[in-house]
Formats: sequence, C-alpha cells, structure tokens
Amino acid sequence: MEHSKHKVLPRSLWTALFHPWVWRMAWRDSRSQRLRLVVFSLAIVSGIAALTAIHSLKASVERGIAVEAKALLGSDLRVSSRKEIGANELEKLAGMASQVSRETSFPSMMRFLPDGGARLMQVRGIAGGYPFYGKVETRPVDAWNKLRDGGGVLVEPAILDQFSAQIGDEVELGGIRLRILGLVDKPAPRGNRFSGFAPEVYVNLADIERSGLLTQNSMAGYQVHLELSGGQASRVLKERVRDKFPDTRWRLETPEDRRENLGDALDNFQKFLGLISLTSLALGAIGVAGAVHAHVTRRIQTIGILRCLGCPGYMAFGIYFAQAMALGLLGAILGAGLGIVMQMGLLVALDDELPISVAPSPEWKIALQTTATGFAVCCGFALLPLMRIREISPAVTLRSGGSLKGGFLRSLPIYALLVGLLVMVAYGNDPNWKRALAMVSGLTVAFLALVAVARGLMEVSRRVLAPRWPYLIRQGVSNLHRPGNQTLLFLLSLGLGTFLLVTILSAGKLLNGRLNIQQSEESPNLYLIDVQPDQVAGVEAVLEAKELPVMESVPMVTMRVQSINGVEVGEATGVPRWVARREFRSTYRDSLNLTETLIAGELASERADPNGIVELSLEEKIAKDLKVGIGDEITMDVQGILIRTKVTSIRRVDWSRFNLNFFMVFPPGVLEDAPGVNVVTTRTPTPAASGELQRELAGQFANVTAIDLTLILETVRDLLAKISTVITILAGFTVLAGLPILIGTLLNGRDVRLKESVLLRTLGASAKQVRIILVIEYAALGLLSALSGILLAVVANGVLATFFFKASPWPDAGLLLAAFGTVTMIAVLGGLALSRGVCHHPPLEILRGGS
Amino acid sequence: MSFLSSTTLESAPSDVKRPILKVTALRKTHQTAADDLTVLTDVSLSLDAGDTLAIVGPSGSGKTTLLGLCAGLDDASAGSVELAGLALESLGQDARAALRNRLVGFVFQNFQLIPTLTAIENVLVPLELRGESGGQAEAKKLLTEVGLGDRLDHYPLQLSGGEQQRVALARAFIHRPKILFADEPTGNLDSGTSGPIVEMLFDLNREAGTALVLVTHDPALAAKARRVVTMSGGTIVSEEENGAL
Repeated sequence: MEHSKHKVLPRSLWTALFHPWVWRMAWRDSRSQRLRLVVFSLAIVSGIAALTAIHSLKASVERGIAVEAKALLGSDLRVSSRKEIGANELEKLAGMASQVSRETSFPSMMRFLPDGGARLMQVRGIAGGYPFYGKVETRPVDAWNKLRDGGGVLVEPAILDQFSAQIGDEVELGGIRLRILGLVDKPAPRGNRFSGFAPEVYVNLADIERSGLLTQNSMAGYQVHLELSGGQASRVLKERVRDKFPDTRWRLETPEDRRENLGDALDNFQKFLGLISLTSLALGAIGVAGAVHAHVTRRIQTIGILRCLGCPGYMAFGIYFAQAMALGLLGAILGAGLGIVMQMGLLVALDDELPISVAPSPEWKIALQTTATGFAVCCGFALLPLMRIREISPAVTLRSGGSLKGGFLRSLPIYALLVGLLVMVAYGNDPNWKRALAMVSGLTVAFLALVAVARGLMEVSRRVLAPRWPYLIRQGVSNLHRPGNQTLLFLLSLGLGTFLLVTILSAGKLLNGRLNIQQSEESPNLYLIDVQPDQVAGVEAVLEAKELPVMESVPMVTMRVQSINGVEVGEATGVPRWVARREFRSTYRDSLNLTETLIAGELASERADPNGIVELSLEEKIAKDLKVGIGDEITMDVQGILIRTKVTSIRRVDWSRFNLNFFMVFPPGVLEDAPGVNVVTTRTPTPAASGELQRELAGQFANVTAIDLTLILETVRDLLAKISTVITILAGFTVLAGLPILIGTLLNGRDVRLKESVLLRTLGASAKQVRIILVIEYAALGLLSALSGILLAVVANGVLATFFFKASPWPDAGLLLAAFGTVTMIAVLGGLALSRGVCHHPPLEILRGGS
Repeated sequence: MSFLSSTTLESAPSDVKRPILKVTALRKTHQTAADDLTVLTDVSLSLDAGDTLAIVGPSGSGKTTLLGLCAGLDDASAGSVELAGLALESLGQDARAALRNRLVGFVFQNFQLIPTLTAIENVLVPLELRGESGGQAEAKKLLTEVGLGDRLDHYPLQLSGGEQQRVALARAFIHRPKILFADEPTGNLDSGTSGPIVEMLFDLNREAGTALVLVTHDPALAAKARRVVTMSGGTIVSEEENGAL
C-alpha cells in the first residue's frame, strides 16, 4: 500500500515538539490568523527591546571600561588630599614611581577680558606629564603641550561661545592675566569628587601659585598622579603608599577602583531601567497569554475534532505550543533587534556623557541572552491557557459551546514556574534577591487581587440581577457572569496593565518631585563663599549698595571627628570608614533656620564655655552614620585643637531647599577664633543683576567665589532633561507593551459578542439596542478594571514613596483621574467598535461560523 | 454506487461475527448546581463486527450521549464500554484517542471539518496522526469518488453542506475503520443531498465490513440498518431487527 509507511508516533510532549506533523499542523492551523498572531507577538517586543537595550548598554560601557581602565584614571595611582601634599611627601612618592605629576583643582571666578564677563570655573592646575595614559584632545592639537611649557589657559568650547571670546583673548584669574591657548575637546580624566557643575579650565600649576588664589580657597583639592614602570601592579603600589604614609588621610585610587566605581554608577541607573523592562516584559507576557487564550478558545472545536480522530492530548497541546513558541521567538527576535538599535542610538546620543568612548556596536551575546529570556517568558505565560487544551474533551464535537476549562489549583505549578522565571529576570536586572522578590511579589499580589475582584464582580452581577430591570441592562449585566464571559480575562489584562502603567507614571512623578529643584521665593540663588572674616562687612556693603538682600551670612569652620564616646573614630564599631577621612564644615549659631526641624533634644541657646563640654547639634542622618544619639560624646579635631562635645539635639534638614545647612551646629562662643571662612547668600532678581554683582565682587574680592545657582540649575536641568528623555522613551515602551493587551482583550471577546449580537439582530434588535448592551458590559468592565488597577497602583505608590523615595505617599490625583477616565473610555470605545462590526458583517456569514 | 476501492478492502476484517462493541449497564450523570441529572440509565447493547445499528428516539432521550460514550469521547458514570475487546474505562484519554485512530471513523451532523485545512488535508489527518505518509493519492481518489475531485484544495467554508459531509465521509473512510459512528449524518442535508451520503455509508459497511452505528431521527435512514434501538428518557425502550420499525 502506498500510504502504509508507518513512522513511530511521538509518545510524549517532548518528542511531539520535534515531530514534523505537529509543526505542519501548527502552520496549517495558523491560516487566516497569521496577521492577528503576528500582531500579538508584538506584545513582547517592547519588553525584550528594553531588556536588550539596558543590558547591552551596560555591557558596552563595561567592555569600554575594561579596555580603557588606565585611560580613565590617566595614571597607575591617583593620590588625592584636601590638604596640600608637602615637598617631602612628594619626594617620597616620586621615589616609588617612574614618573609623578601634580594637580591642584578648585572652583574660582574667572573674568573674560576686555568685556569683563565672569563665571565660576573649576580650575585645574597641572604640572608634569599627566595624563600618562590616554590623550587630551585640544584645538589646536599642540595646545596641551604649550600649556605645560608656558603660561596660558585652555577652556571648553561652550565657554568661548558664551562669552564671545576667541583663542588669543585674555582672562583674569585671581591676580594674574592669562591668554587663551586653545579649546579642550577631550579633557584629562577627572577625580571622582569633581562637582560637575562648573566648566573646566586648565592652567599650568605654576600660574596657579602665582595667582594667589590658593591661600584662601577652602575647596581646593590636591592630587599627585603616579606612573609605574612596566610590570608593576598598581594595587601593590597603593598598599605601599598606604603603609608608608599611615597618618595621612589621602584617598588612593587605582584604575581597578575606577572601573568598580563606574560599574556601581551604572548599576544604579540599571535598577530603575530594570523595573521598567520587567514591567514591559510582564505586560507583554500577559498580552501573549491573553492572545493564546483567545486563539485556543477559537480552536476548541478543531482540537475536539483532532481528539476524535485519534490525536493524543499532548500532540494537540504540541500544535498550539509550537505556535506559541514561534510567536514568542518572532517577538523576542524583533524585540532584540529593536533593543540593539536602541542601544546603538543611546550610545551615539550619550557619547558626550559617557566617561569613555564606546564604539556603538551590537552586543550579540546579550541580544542572544535576552532573546532567550523573552522566549522563555513568552512560552511560560502561554502555558497558562495551553495547559487547558488537555482538558478539551473530544465530546465537544457532539455539542456546541465548549469552553476552556481548568482550575487554578491545576495551574499552580505553572504559576510557580512563572513566578520563578520573573524573579530570575528581576534578579538579572538588579542582582538583589530581596528587591527581585519584592518586585515579583507585588505583581503576584496585584494578580491575585484582580482575580478576587473579577470573581466578586461575577458573583455580584449574578445576585443583583432582577427580572424587573429593563431588558438591555439585564442583558449587559448578565454578560458579566454568563458562560463565555470575559470578566476575569478583562480584569486581569486591563486591570494589571492599568496598575503597572499608573505605578510607573507615579514613580516617575515621585522622582520628578524629588528632583524638583525650583527655587522658592525664600531661597537664595547666589552663594558667595570663601569670604574672609575681614571681608564680610565689605561684601555685605556691596550687596546693600546694589539693593540686594543679605539672606544669610554664616561662619564656616573645617574640622574632623577624632573620637566617639572615647573610642577613636577609625576603631569605632559600625561607623563607616569615610567618617574618619571626612572634613566636616560646621557653623555656630543659637537658633534653627527655616529649613530645619528639631526632632530630639534642645538646641543650645547660650554661649558655650570653650573649656567645658560643648553642646552639639547633629543632623539626623549624620547622627545615624556616627551611631550616636542624645547624650553621646564626640571629640572634634578643629585644625589641631581637640574640642569635647556632647550631642544635645538632633535636627531634620530639608536638603532640597537651597539654604545653608550643616551636619554639625555649634553654639556661639567656641569657634569664633578658629580659622575659617564665611558664606554669604543673596537673591538676585535677574541673570544680568547676578552678572553685574559677580563682576564687581571679582574686582574687589578676588578670592571670593560666587556660585550662581541659576547656572548650576541650568546644568542640572540639562542633565535631567537627558535622563528624563531616556526614561520617557523607556516608559513609552511600557505603554506600547500595554497596547497589544488592550487590543487582545477586546479581540478576545469580539468573536463571542459578535455572534451574540448578530443573533440579537436576526431576532429583531436594533443596532442601537445592541450598542447599549455592549456599552453596559464594557463600561462595567472598564470601570472596574480602571478602579482596581488604580487602587493597586495607589498602594504600590504608597509603598514606593514610604520605603524608597521617602516622599509623600499620596499620589497625584490628576494622574489617577486621567488614568481612570482614559481606561474606562478606551474600554467603552472598544465595545462600540465591536458594535460597528455587527452592523457591517452579514449575519449569515457569522451564523455559518465564518467570522 | 461502489464507493470503496479494492485497496480499501484489503484490510477488511475476516471475522464478521465477533462483537466489535459491547455496552454493559451504562449510566451517565451530569452534576448541576441544583442536583444530579441522569441522562442515561442502565443501557446495555452489543454490536458484531460488520453489523449495522440505528439509534432512534426523541430529542433528549440520550442518543448522542450514548454514541459519545461508545466512541470513548466521554466518560461514563457507571458501566462499561468495550471496543474491539478493550474496556474503554480502563484506558486513559490518549490511549482511547489512539484506539479511535486505529478502529473508529466519525461522521457528524455538523460535519466537523477543521476550518483551517483544505478538503484533502482534512481527509489526510487520520493517516497523518498514525504517522503514515504517502496517503495523498488515496485521499485524492476518495475525494474523487465522492465527487469532489476538483475541490481538493478548497476550504470547508468554500463548500456547501453536502460537499462538506462528503469530505467528512472520505475522512472517515481513509484509515479503514472497523466501526463508524455517525451522529445525524444527514440531519443538515436535504433529501437530494442526503441520499448519496447514505449510500456511501452503507457501501462501506457492505464492502469493507465496517460496523455502523447511526444516531438519527430519520425513519428511512434507520430502516436501512439491520438493528434499530429506540431510546426514551435515557434508556433503551425497544430493540428491533431487520429494519422493521
């Protein structure tokens, strides 16, 4: 017989998945549904794209860091100090390396001549061959060498534009004038403590010493860069320096340290993006599960026929699992492709912001990993509806109206698998088990809550329905609980989608709230620092002459913590190591300012006895770091003089306001004679007034540094705008992931409702009546989905605000109202869109099953 | 009309007197929210290989339920069904499916063709499920014999009711079943279309020795069967032979 070539049929699901007939049937079965299935596969595209982009970006930068680790630091070891490194120490350091280079950096005002425009600059004075690795790129190309050989300055291109200056013009720095030698396109590696707010200007170290600025500048940093001869390890050098200079408070940094620090910074950025990618992925996966559910529901009869003809359950399952796999693979590949494009786009867009130059090339390994992850998540979620295929009885061929059955308990292993899968993805995004579990637990709780709401709605609609109700209302409401209802699926997909979207948007608002650095009317916008005690009156007089207010004028004294409760700070248990190294800038006064609140004890209001124990007020966070409370004793080293203090009050400070605030506040009578500087703050009405004041101060008090917050805010706003753009793009991806869910949910119910509506039309119902019935059903579903999703988001927002952002737990009512209105409206419009189909489809076509 | 080819007859059963189907004390109860609903009570019958049996009775009398249980499409609440000597209740769903694929053919009132497959693909499914290849020529031949030689690549939606039922017949015959269950096979067809369908069914019985179980409301169709069982209220109320209703 021609057709008797028997092949061994697969005996399990595993072997069925490799059987050609299963794949052939999967392909044939997809006829007439391919476009719809491809649209559904788009649901996971955005999630995978976000995942791929984030991980690829990190991998690219890390690869770049690994390649350019030494160029990032510019040397084998950087020694940083807040105090000048003496000649003796420098000589010893030089003996340990093949080459050393010195750098001194500090903020200072610089005036552009001849017009006299002034601006705060971060001055970097360099002597020697630094950087030893990497290259400073300048225009003209020999400008860097010229700077080292003789006097002059190099500035950033934007500064030249801002002051309409040209190469060859002169600038005034402190007491000297220097010529602009050229522009810096790629700067020398910066120290980690660089403020980033002021543009950099490079000068020869010898010129700095001539300028006289250093003697009175409290914010100067001193560095020595060391180069090792070939073969020596920088870690070994770091240990040798630490051993040789045990009493110094130097900060030592090797290329490896720099690499780790940068990695940490990227990790922080990745945490937030990880949340977005997990959300997009979960939304996409829900979309896929909904799509597969809808597809399998349409295929119940086909599955019944196949079972009748002898198809084992696992082979029927295999057909649709094969389709889901193809769907997942397509979505994952498209997503990974989009992710690669995004990663390359971000690398190009952020080129100037990245610490190293990274060639935008695809990270194929990451793309492969994320494709596999997306594929696994997609297949995992598809299992939920697919597992019910095995419950489809062949008897459905004898009676019409079969539905997918399967209890929650039977699906429990699948749910456990999915939770595990999501935890793994969350952990992959942010390697912290606690946070990964918390994130997935939140999703699970939301899922269970929505199931409960859906069940409740079905029960309520069943109980409240009364025969006296008008027919159209009865019909619309009973659609919520009748067999074939879409209540559970609708609530789950739309409710969960609403929950995730509103949570992400609320989190964005919280972040914006935290970053909101708009100045209030009471806040100063110009800081004048390094005002010497004998200059205070003069500076205040200049302000008064210009009718500008002196908002604050406070003394500032630098000091270190020597011991806590008699234990030397370096040996105190639980106190972070940085406390010993930190130079605290403290003030003295007898009252709180507007941004402070007393949370424990009382602020000393009387002059203290400098020979007794001084009452000290601590800011709450520093008290926590020092592990001290009211009554604890701290000995402070005020530039060589030890002062015993006792904590008598703890303050809470609103650091988001731009007032002068300090970790430690002394009472009057102790620090008056200690060497220190003053800070004066004022508020200028316009940038022009600020510029005028700065010009005058730069002329009379060269050492006084004016920090114009409007300029700083401009820089911060620029940075935030870039971050905000990236976040908006990625949050937009979450919204994109939500769209297929919405379409899927509506299409899901479409077939059933279309058939019913056509029957009603056949029986004489008007299009208006059909529309009313559908609107009632979809309005009820939309309202409840929106309400449930929003309530869950409010809870999530409260948790995030309280435990992560330390902000007000109350979400933005406008956002909630907008979300509620939009979701409900979309649901109702979707219902109406279905009724359009009723009017446009010939009833006979639908009644014959050709819809 | 000689519907079956000599090729099809090659595997006709030799012993036509052995019971192919044996039903003993069958009961089926559905659980509802209010109480249990019994749709079949104490039904017993037996059918020899190659024999024909019509099940008649009013709507709701349990005919289709009995047919479904006999074919292993559903689980009985009590009693036993033996198909070719194998007790269905002792088999799992997949084993029953394999048994159906080996021994059973189906014809339904509403045709039950797979809408996404063409006519020839629908006919080939039982062979493909057995892992057999090369059945194209046989399927084409069968479809030609039922008058659809020029409609091989048409989808069910593109065929009339009578044409769909003829595709269903070709599908039922292609794997040479030992027993064929037909649920109202002409219920959706007019008399002009149903005549040839009935002829084909009984040709199979005569020429291939396939046992035939028919559920029908049509007395003329029932009269063609050798035995007629009448059901009412979930039980067999009478049984007659030689089609004498």
